[in-house]
Amino acid sequence: MKTAVQKTAIYQKKRPGASRWANKWIQSPQWFLGFGIAVAVCLVVFVLNVVFGRVHPGSTWGLGYGIAAAVLFVGVFFYGVKRRTMKVRALGRAWYYLQFHVYGGTLFLLLMLMHVGFQVPHGVLTWWLWALSLWVVGSGLFGIVLQKWIPTLLAGGVRTEVNYDRIPELVADLQKRGDAVAESADFAVQDFYRKQIAPALAAPQFRPIYFLGIPSGMGGKAKLFASLREMQPAEERIKLDELEELYAAKMDIDAHFTLQRALRGWLYLHVPVSVIALALLGFHIFAVLYY
Amino acid sequence: MSVDAADSSATVLQQQRLYEDRWSAYGANAGLLHLSSKPSASELKRFDLFKPYDDQLLDQLSPDISIAKWEKGAILFEEGSYLDVAFYIVEGTVSLFLDKHATSASQPIFDTKLVEAVASEPSQGDGAAQTAFVQPYQPPKEKKEAKGKKKGDGANITYLASMDFDLAHGEEHQLGRGDIFGEIGALNGWPQSVTARTATDCTLVQIRLPALQKLKLRSSDFKEWVDKLYRERTLSQQLKTTPLFRGTDDRFVEQLANRVELISCSPGDVVTEEGAAVDAFYLVRSGFLRVSQKVGDGEVAVTYLRKGMTLGEVELLIDGLDGWQTTVTSVGFTELVRIPRADFESILRDDPAVRQHLWAAAINRIKETGYTKQNPEQPDLIEFSLAKGLVQGNSILVIDLDVCTRCDDCVRGCASTHDGRPRFVREGDRYDNFLIARSCYHCEDPVCLIGCPTGAIRRTNVGEVVAVDDNICIGCGNCANKCPYDAIVMHDTEEVWPDTALPEFLRGRDRRVASKCDLCYESDAGPACVNNCPHACAFRINSIEDFQQLQAVDHAQR
Ligand code: SF4
Ligand code: SF4
Ligand code: SF4
Repeated sequence: MKTAVQKTAIYQKKRPGASRWANKWIQSPQWFLGFGIAVAVCLVVFVLNVVFGRVHPGSTWGLGYGIAAAVLFVGVFFYGVKRRTMKVRALGRAWYYLQFHVYGGTLFLLLMLMHVGFQVPHGVLTWWLWALSLWVVGSGLFGIVLQKWIPTLLAGGVRTEVNYDRIPELVADLQKRGDAVAESADFAVQDFYRKQIAPALAAPQFRPIYFLGIPSGMGGKAKLFASLREMQPAEERIKLDELEELYAAKMDIDAHFTLQRALRGWLYLHVPVSVIALALLGFHIFAVLYY
Repeated sequence: MSVDAADSSATVLQQQRLYEDRWSAYGANAGLLHLSSKPSASELKRFDLFKPYDDQLLDQLSPDISIAKWEKGAILFEEGSYLDVAFYIVEGTVSLFLDKHATSASQPIFDTKLVEAVASEPSQGDGAAQTAFVQPYQPPKEKKEAKGKKKGDGANITYLASMDFDLAHGEEHQLGRGDIFGEIGALNGWPQSVTARTATDCTLVQIRLPALQKLKLRSSDFKEWVDKLYRERTLSQQLKTTPLFRGTDDRFVEQLANRVELISCSPGDVVTEEGAAVDAFYLVRSGFLRVSQKVGDGEVAVTYLRKGMTLGEVELLIDGLDGWQTTVTSVGFTELVRIPRADFESILRDDPAVRQHLWAAAINRIKETGYTKQNPEQPDLIEFSLAKGLVQGNSILVIDLDVCTRCDDCVRGCASTHDGRPRFVREGDRYDNFLIARSCYHCEDPVCLIGCPTGAIRRTNVGEVVAVDDNICIGCGNCANKCPYDAIVMHDTEEVWPDTALPEFLRGRDRRVASKCDLCYESDAGPACVNNCPHACAFRINSIEDFQQLQAVDHAQR
């Protein structure tokens, strides 16, 4: 019997018995299997096609591949539509749209390449359409890699979770609290705060080092805190502890700022180009039908 | 959040004002003729209830007491509402009746289904052994019920001590001078089981929760009185309708009701100590208890008990066990029914059905304890769940951080289906790689409901969704301050209250409303946060057992 969690959450990722690798990359074995079968069928058809004749975009088969690719390309845009129509509850779960987006998008590339007979097209419009299609699918696959890699980094490395949009507000709050603690501290702590901590608390900071691992971005300052702490009386140590807490929290926030930004940033590589490619596809279909 | 002294005294004043206004907020026809607050000790001594107490105690109680005159026909409260006030009748007659829910006051004191639910053995970690008790998420039924379905049929909900009175439909119960009512709901934070209407013009002393608690703590006479009323009004009927005692001779149960002890525990109170002699059997009326066992030099939490569950079946059924097998500690304020061992053994002797019921529970308890001791993660999860209040939750939003891409589509999905205002924050406590998002748990005992001056925050149906009615909310922030899980935020609507607003002090002020998760109960499509997560890593779990399963599946592939 399925548990509530499995029933309600499409929780296919963590499949007992499957390897960690497989669980991480394949959220749904059913979708993956379907994709595999579709790829195999396409390749078999294409090989037969090559054996028994010549494939070019204008041939019956070539046209068929092109139509299938165009339909898929339009279909994968429904994920974007779903994200913009969250209010319409009848549209079902976003997860299904994303699965179709990923597998359908990759299959589109294969069909598009079959359409052009795995050749580089000569026309300007078709060349651009070919190039942009490669870019769109390539950037999409790059996005998937980021989406598998960064969550693991964040889940393993930070203690807190923050909404990206709230980061400026949270940092401002940390800074305010840091200033308040430092104000009541003695000169040495104040000086240390002003020189070493305050600049870090001033604003969210993008630190590429977090891509390599989060703890490696936290290091250094701990030693400074430790050496200053040794020279301070008990009540100043408490303040140093508080400042260290605030600093650590800020490092966590910076990790979120850096990595969540990357998770959002790659969409700029993917989405605008996809929209241009869709427009070019429209032109391409129009041109084929018209001429 | 820290509040400075000036702010806090302003808050107290504001609360006082809201308290005075809570009745007038119902409108001009509410029937409240006069309300006077903070009676002096000498004024209070005019009433029999307060005569035994010294001036010092009465002065302490005074801020939470008011004297109200009501006209005939006024509704004091409705069935299902949460109040932090008890009413003592000085003059007049009040009539109590059931008018809404199909559930009568005679709800089981102990529900075997509930025991099996918590006591079942969790998944064994290979994902294959699944237990049947976990119910899939069901969109709340209110809409369907509005189309004619019976209300209040939640099988796992034990209404137990929320009942002040055991009434049948159509029956009215009259209370007069010297009677008290509403105290059980107020003291325990449970919904009122009946509707109360003044049958004549009345003078009532209205005692708010802090004063009730002080009285119960400081005066054994008061505690005895309140317990006696509970016994008289409802306990025997509850025991009779409890599956555990169904079939047991009615007369015996009535006698039993007089012999059982009603126990109120404070946080940290020890109910049973491992190894000590077993002297009773317990039914949990409300609250949560931590069950722990000694392991090596230390002690680990093996499970927890909640409303409707029992304690003592293992020890009383299995021959040769030497004393209590577990130490049981109250987590918060807990209410228990204690049945002395001799009485309970006589029930076991005379009634094989009771014995059979208990064996099922005992076996589950033993299995669960054994499982927990073998799985080092379980005690941690139990401790975490007790500490963070997850045990309270009927629906908890959990996010798997290993998968979550922080896209915030869950938050946007929530906002887009709720007038642009997200009802939760994707932040909160972490357990392992799971985030317990700051979204309402739809608690078993929702403390946020107590003290809402207008009743804007309410259960949409007993035992289910807790929601705020924007049209009635006056933005006082009581609920947000009360919620221990930061699940309510106050939201500026950028409107001002119109000149016709009630209470009057609102007029011309900025309009704020309390904003919280309503479990998307108005939609059949289920929670928008879960549905809009493109990575399927946001879950609504209904219980700790769901969480255990989630974790077990997660760990199975590590
Ligand atoms: S608002 Fe808070 S107290 Fe009220 S039901 Fe939700 S989590 Fe529980
Ligand atoms: S269940 Fe609905 S209201 Fe609650 S957090 Fe999710 S989307 Fe928001
Ligand atoms: S929608 Fe899903 S993946 Fe995106 S932030 Fe919410 S839980 Fe994470």
